[in-house]
This record gives sequence, structure tokens and C-alpha cells, in this order.
Amino acid sequence: MSQSKRRELLKAGAAIGAASLGFPAIVRAQAKEIVILGLWDQTGAYADVGPLNDRGMRMALEERGMKILGKPIKYITRDGATQAGVSTRRAEEAIDEGARFMIGPWSSGVALAVSEVAKRRKVLHLFSGGTEDISGSRCHRYSFQWAASPYTAAKTVVDNFMKANPKAKRWQLLIADYAFGWSLEKYIKEVGKDHGLEFVGADRHPLGEREFSNYVQKAAANRPDAVAMVNFGADAVGAAREFFNFGLTPKVPLIMAWSSGVEELIQLSPEIRENLWVGTNFYYTADTPVAKAFVRSYQAKYQLPPGYAPSSAYSMTRMLLAGFDKAKSDDTQAVIKALETLEVNDLLGRMRVDPATHQTLRPYFFLKCKAKGAMKHELDLADIVATGDTPLPKQYAACKDIGGF
Amino acid sequence: MLYALMGLGLALITGILNIPNFAHGALFAVGAYFLVSVVSALGNFWLGLLLAPIGIALLGLLIEYLGVRRLYAAGHDYQLLFTFGLALILNELIIVIWGPVGISHLPPAILRGGVDLGFTFYPKYRLFVMLMAGLLVVATWLFLEKTRYGAIMRAGIENKEMVSLLGIDIHWLFTAAFALGAYLAGIAGALTAPIRGLSPGMGVDMLGIAVVVVALGGLGNLLGAIAAGLLIGVAQAVVAAYWTEASTVVIFAVMAAVLVVRPQGLFGIR
Repeated sequence: MSQSKRRELLKAGAAIGAASLGFPAIVRAQAKEIVILGLWDQTGAYADVGPLNDRGMRMALEERGMKILGKPIKYITRDGATQAGVSTRRAEEAIDEGARFMIGPWSSGVALAVSEVAKRRKVLHLFSGGTEDISGSRCHRYSFQWAASPYTAAKTVVDNFMKANPKAKRWQLLIADYAFGWSLEKYIKEVGKDHGLEFVGADRHPLGEREFSNYVQKAAANRPDAVAMVNFGADAVGAAREFFNFGLTPKVPLIMAWSSGVEELIQLSPEIRENLWVGTNFYYTADTPVAKAFVRSYQAKYQLPPGYAPSSAYSMTRMLLAGFDKAKSDDTQAVIKALETLEVNDLLGRMRVDPATHQTLRPYFFLKCKAKGAMKHELDLADIVATGDTPLPKQYAACKDIGGF
Repeated sequence: MLYALMGLGLALITGILNIPNFAHGALFAVGAYFLVSVVSALGNFWLGLLLAPIGIALLGLLIEYLGVRRLYAAGHDYQLLFTFGLALILNELIIVIWGPVGISHLPPAILRGGVDLGFTFYPKYRLFVMLMAGLLVVATWLFLEKTRYGAIMRAGIENKEMVSLLGIDIHWLFTAAFALGAYLAGIAGALTAPIRGLSPGMGVDMLGIAVVVVALGGLGNLLGAIAAGLLIGVAQAVVAAYWTEASTVVIFAVMAAVLVVRPQGLFGIR
């Protein structure tokens, strides 16, 4: 080969190589697979939850043999580290690699940031957090909220607690000091009005508080008929323990208004759980065929029954797959339209989506924990007392126009 | 009171070895977990309270003998790094042995429930802890002030070379001091377990507070550490009654305020 011809060949080869390196989207878009992202934290504040979420999502996808509409599903996970900056970057990278559907992350605050990415990159987004904003003031066509509205939670908890304890009119509140805590506090007070409740005190504590004795002392001094908490994880466990240590419970009932269920309750001992009433987005004794099958397979694999984390991931993935089925297409906008009119009898019971706000309308569970003597086995923590699915009344809805695509 | 206990243990180790013991929080945590294991095995809380801290003291002894001592020649930085690494290792070991999920451990039956003190309702177990911690602090102080061994330890903090010149084996001194400091951390952990519950990260918060107590009391002053611990505890309780959200911040705020005025701490000598 002559000198110049070789050079030409090398230049051409380098150009092609550079082109395929520089335009991976084009190269990968050739594949017929559907790429779904699970944004699950493996590091950071919620590092213990990420693997549980992954389990649930994976189980839902494997039920369909990792295929939908005849196309293979490529399930990728990325670690958001419970930080908005990291999560949004990982989401963007995954979208560059072809992901058009994403589920997660766990933290409401971070989910808000990720939701903005979904809107900008026109990617379908489901998440399990409780923040009102994504189906409220920051609503848009691409994000869907799986968890019950805090209003639904408040109504289910307050109405059913008062049915069982009609004389408990003086309530003390303990609220985690962040946006979600404030919204649930607001709704509890609203619903409480209908029952003639008197709120003798409402204390806010910072997230990650360790020393609850002061809050408990203040609560005790107010002599309430019931104490209601809006907090999560280690905060909820620590506060519940402190209420017990001070001798407030089990005499005075304690309500955990928004709990992850199993995952928090097993950290307490049966004595602490006595007279503990819990509101949660899912409990494993839910009486639906899908829940029974899911709990059976989950326990077979992981021994413990599933709590909020894996169940929410499982349920959201099933919703997404149902959306594909209904739309008969994997075009993002078609699936969104299908989800907006979705009505299924799934993990939680009857579930449908409000097209105006993208809030899932579904049952919220209210449990009463069992005393030590009534527990039939180590994980027989509570009974489901009631479910409620009253949606957020229109006058509170902050989502005025969900917008177009 | 617990803060004074932790601060004292850390001050002892820091004073003698001249390095902050980053593993002090981890020793606190392991003390709590040891208690749970001993109580599960023997069924008796009091035995657990007796044996668990001794276990931690032995652990401290091992750490000093096998680890810290070997690094004297290498210098302070390496000893510091070693304790830091040890803290991480112990933390992960807790997760490996006892699992990552938090545990609750109830106080023994006779100490459950609250006492009506008239102006407020207070848990019996917390009163017990205050008493125990107070006794331990007094006992340690008596040991340090009134016995020969205590005097040697205090001298060792002030001037190692002189002590060594006087014919005392300072290596033994270091090991004993570390073991005693570890014992105090271990018993603080064991006492705390029923109050705060257990979780793998419980040592980290306590370490922060212990460091604050030592810095506030003055590096090298054991009595100062006790006083600082009590001061911090009282400040937290007082602030909590009026401005509950600030009750944790006030610990660090007090330290910052004092150090700005007196960088050597309240009673510091260096």
C-alpha cells in the first residue's frame, strides 16, 4: 500500500472509531430493548433501603421474564447516594444510555430534583415518596406519585383511630421538621377539626434527632389522650422508645402516622409496640391476591416479609408494566396516557391514577400493633384495622395545570 | 452524666497517648452490643452490666498492645490514623456480627416505667443511669487522685519522660490507661443501650460529644473533662426545656463560645 493510501485508511478508521465513541446513543439506539432505570441509593443516608427497593423492582420484572411487548427489558440501577446532585447526574447519564423510564429515588427531597430531570428530558418517572409537591405545585406530565397523598393518610389515620378511641380528644403532635412533616401536620389538624380534637401541643424535631427525652417530657406535661408522630426511620424508632421509657405508652396510645411498617416495627420490642397505631403505605398482611403472592415469594427468598421499601418498588414496577400493556407500545407519551387512565386491582387493592395531578388514588393502611401475648410468631407485629382512600379534596390541590408533553 | 463519663475516658487516653482516640465512639457502641449479647446468653442485666465493660477493657488492652504500641516509633499521625481505621473496622464488625438493623433493649423490669417527681415525670432507668455514671465518675476520680497508680497516671499525662526516668514502665502505664479509658467507654455504652437503643452508627454521635467535652474541659485535665461533661449535659437539658430544637446544637455552641474566649479550654494546661 502506498504511504498516502495507508494514511487515508488510518484517518478513515480513526474517524469511524471516534464517531462511534462520540455518539454512543446512536450506536445503542439500534437495540430493540427497553431500558428502565432504578435509581436506588447504595450509599448515603438511605443506603440500607436501596438494596430492598432493588429486590422489589427486580422481582416485578422477573415475573415477566424481563420482557414486555415482546421486547427485552434492560434493567439498570444507579446509586443516587441520597443527594440531589449525584442522583440527577446519574439519572442524566442513564438517560444518555437510553433509559426512558425511571423509578425512584427513595428520598422525597431528592425525588423533586430528579423529577425536574424527568420533565426536561421527557422521561417517565415514578417515585414512592410522600412529598406533596410532585403531584402538587411542581406537577408535570412525566412524574407519577405512588404513595398516598398525605391527606389520605391523615384522614385514614384520624378517622379510624377515633372510631376505636372515641374519647381521645386531646392530642399531642411530634413532627419531623421538614416539608413533608408540615403537610401531614396540616392535614391531621384539618381532619381533627371534624372530630372536635384539641391539639394540646405540636413540637417539631430536626431530622436525625437522637435525644427525644425533652420532647417526651414536654408531651407528658401536656397530659394528652393520644400522641401522634410524623417522622420516619431511626427518628420514629427512637421517639417511640423514649415514649415507652418515660412510661407514657402503653397507657397513652401512640400513633405513627406515616411509617414504613415492618422495617421500623422490628427495631422495637413487643413491649414498646403495645398500644402503637401505625399508618403505612403497605403492610404485608394486605388481603389482595397480588400481595399474598408477592409476600410468599419475597419471604421464600429473603425470610423477612416485605416492608414499604421493596413493596413500593414492586408495585410501581407493576404499574409501569401495566401501562405498557395498556398502551400496547413503549412510546413514552403513549405509556403516560395509558397510566393516566389506568385502573387496576393490584398489590394494594383498587388503584387508579388521577390524570389531573398524577397522584395514585389507592388505599392507605391503618394498623394496630399486637401486644406480646397476642403475637402468634415473631413477625406477627400488627393487624390491619382499616384502609382508607379518600383523595385530596380539590380545594387543597396545588396542581392547577399538569401541562402537556 | 454520661457525657462526663465519655469525656473522662477520652481525656485519659488522649492525655496519656497524646492522640485523640477516634475509636472511642466505636468502643462505646461495642460496649452496648456486648451488653445485649451477654444478657441474651446469661439472662441477667446486672451480670451483663458487670461483664460487658470488662470485655471492652480487654479489647482496649489488646488494641493498645497489638496496635497503638507498635506505632509509637512511627509517630502520632500513624497512631491517629490507626484509631480512625479501627473505628471504621469496629463499625463494620458490628454490622457483620449483629446486623445492620437497629435493636431495642429494654431496661430490667424493676427499672421500667417512670417516677412522678412532682414537677415532672421521669423514667426510673434514667435516674439509675445518672446514679451509676455519677458513682463511676467519683470512683475514677478517687482512683486518680488518691491512689498511687492514679498519681502515676496523672504524672504520665503531665510529663512522660520524667515518669520514665523515675523507673516506672511507661509502656505498662499506657496500656493501663487505654484499658481504663476503654472500660469507661464500654460501660457508658452498656448503660445507654436501654435508653437510646442500638444501631451500628451509635458510636459516631457519642464520639463527637466526647471530643467536645475533652476540648471544652481542656486537653490534659481530667477533672476539667468531668466538669465540662456535666456542664454540657446541664446546658442541653436547660435549653431543651425552652427551645427544644436547639438542644443538640447547644453542645457545640457552648464549646465554640468557650474556646473563642479561652482556647485552652476551661481548665486546660496546654
